[in-house]
Amino acid sequence: MNRAAVAIDQLGRTVLEYVEEMGKIALLFLSVLRWMFQPPLKSHLIFKQMEFVGNKSIFVVVLTGAFTGMVMALQGYYGFKMFSAESMVGSVVALGMTRELGPVLTSLMVTARAGSAMAAELGTMRVTEQIDALSVMAANPVKHLIVPRVIAGVLMLPLLTVVSDFMGILGGYFVGVHLLHINSGIFVKNITTIVDLDDLYNGLVKAAVFGLILSLIGCYKGFNTRGGAEGVGKATTEAVVLSSITILISDYFLTAIMF
Amino acid sequence: MFSISSEAKVGIFVLIGLIILAYMSFQVGQRGFGLKKGYSVDVFFNNVAGLERDASVQIAGVEIGRVESIALKDGKALVTLRIGKDIKLARDVKAAIKTHGILGDKYIELVPGKDEEIYIHEGGRIINVESQADLDRLLNQLAFIADDIKKVTGALSSVLAGDEGEASIKDILENSRQLTRNLNTVVKSNEATLRAVLENTRQLTENLNNVVTKNDEKMAQTIENLRGASEQMEKTFASLNDITESIKKGEGTAGRLIKDKDMAVKLDQAIDSLRDVTDKINQGKGTIGKLINDEETVNNLNEGLTGLSRYINKAEQFRTFLSYRGEYLFDSSEAKNYLDIKIQPKQDKFYIVGLVSDPQGKKTIRDTTVAGVTTRTEEWDRDGLLFNAQIGKRYKDIVIRGGLLESTGGVGLDYFALNDKLKFTFEAFDFSADEKTHLKAAAEYQLFKHLYLSFGWDDFISDKGQESPYAGISIRFEDDDLKYLLTTTPIPK
Repeated sequence: MNRAAVAIDQLGRTVLEYVEEMGKIALLFLSVLRWMFQPPLKSHLIFKQMEFVGNKSIFVVVLTGAFTGMVMALQGYYGFKMFSAESMVGSVVALGMTRELGPVLTSLMVTARAGSAMAAELGTMRVTEQIDALSVMAANPVKHLIVPRVIAGVLMLPLLTVVSDFMGILGGYFVGVHLLHINSGIFVKNITTIVDLDDLYNGLVKAAVFGLILSLIGCYKGFNTRGGAEGVGKATTEAVVLSSITILISDYFLTAIMF
Repeated sequence: MFSISSEAKVGIFVLIGLIILAYMSFQVGQRGFGLKKGYSVDVFFNNVAGLERDASVQIAGVEIGRVESIALKDGKALVTLRIGKDIKLARDVKAAIKTHGILGDKYIELVPGKDEEIYIHEGGRIINVESQADLDRLLNQLAFIADDIKKVTGALSSVLAGDEGEASIKDILENSRQLTRNLNTVVKSNEATLRAVLENTRQLTENLNNVVTKNDEKMAQTIENLRGASEQMEKTFASLNDITESIKKGEGTAGRLIKDKDMAVKLDQAIDSLRDVTDKINQGKGTIGKLINDEETVNNLNEGLTGLSRYINKAEQFRTFLSYRGEYLFDSSEAKNYLDIKIQPKQDKFYIVGLVSDPQGKKTIRDTTVAGVTTRTEEWDRDGLLFNAQIGKRYKDIVIRGGLLESTGGVGLDYFALNDKLKFTFEAFDFSADEKTHLKAAAEYQLFKHLYLSFGWDDFISDKGQESPYAGISIRFEDDDLKYLLTTTPIPK
């Protein structure tokens, strides 16, 4: 075989691999849906995951949200100064946070914190054959391990996004009003007149979808780990990379659909 | 060391998140979301280009309402305004579309009217509309004007421009210079003549004076003539006197009217009975008299009218809803049914009464003491119905309610989002000492006009294994028949 044929063959294989992976994730999603409505649901497992995904991410999310809002205010100020429209900085920060940066940055941070941990945890369980042990005990691993994580992801991400939005606007307010000396009344008024309820809620819908994506991919990668400690490391990396890319790509399409 | 359970930690976080969300949506969502406050007024405009929904409605620069909707009707733009309930608009208020700010945001400016007697009510119409200064039309007119000016300047330039024009202007200037010089010389050379004219005038007035003094006698004669005229007048009066004399004697119609006894008696009677009527009215007898004289009648009438208007208002505000809700509990594979009547006398206040059929049935606890030993028996009547009786109040997007929930005391909290289409509910009831409080959280979405879908988690901190997620469907509609049944009974003040 000549080189071109090999390259084409390689390309075909890679594409097929990705398509296959997508199909597997979709199937996992279906089975999660099925098991989610199969009683009994173990509430303490769900709450544990909710605490892990939600409460323990608050600090990171607060920091990223606040500093994103602050830097947006700073950057926006230089742009708006050219038109002497400095008072619009607030609305730009608020719109940017609620519609875009709040959900996306929160999801990326949670992917790095919780998505990777899910992959590593499930991966370790897989390579130490704990998952097989569960199956032997007639306890469905999807129901016991994946469903609580997915539920936690979908429920907690919108809440974290709310916190991030709020902190971002607060950070923008601090920079705009205290450092750049924009009138505080006009700053707030511009936010309330320009930002709509829909902006806020559509951002939260996005966040819920991102939560589903990152928890599903994290669990999928961990669940299908092969090959010992090295495999666990590989699964974790892949989970973070794939989740982040999927979040950013789906963000574009969600925005196109909703706004 | 005392440790907090993950449930509690998650709960605290959820609470904080929801509070921030509620705060932000209150701040942001004052545009047409939540309760519809105030009243709506219609205006027809010829052109509303650039006007958006939710645009501001202002009087003297102060915002008093928002544009609720813009629609096309009979080739004109029908704009519905929602005006704050504290603002009263006189009937001759004037509306105009104005532009504000560098970006050209359009808003509606109202100029208050002078007719303070009649105000516009809900659903009324503003008739005085100031037509908008359409920028295109303005530019068109300006173009016409510019054309005209151009014609004038063109003609002028054709006359004045060039060597010929310059020469003629020079001629004109030269002529006017000569003219003034001539005038000057005329005045100078005729100084003597002018003086003579003035002298003549003086003599003329003197002569006039003489004429008047000489004719003194003739004036006297004129006055004599006037005297004769007045004598004639005297004679005329005398004959008038004759006429009245004959009336007195009863000659002619007018005479008969005055002289004829019968006529006089009849007139007398008529006046008498008229006086009777007015007397009675004065004394307050009869309906009209009462109406006019008796303060109480007037007060009663006033009260009656205000009562009537209040009654009509109440009846209009009064709304009743019927709802059925079925919830399928996944864990026990059983269904819970709710039948509720919601009575809403005011927009922000309501009462709920209803029946609940719980698959567990109705619990009865009986304590029996035999020889100092108390035994507690719990009985479950599976056919027993539970009752709902609640009162509730709504503040913007939040509803707080309390009362009997499933036959036990409890409270509930609802949060409305997406223009009331989405409802989050949290209920806590059955606060008994020996088991955990019954908590219930749910989200409900309005799928179609009367059909709602709900998902939730019933009794989720139960220590008896009764926690279960559920999915429910409910039908809810407004029932006007019930409303009229309820409002035909008198409503107290």
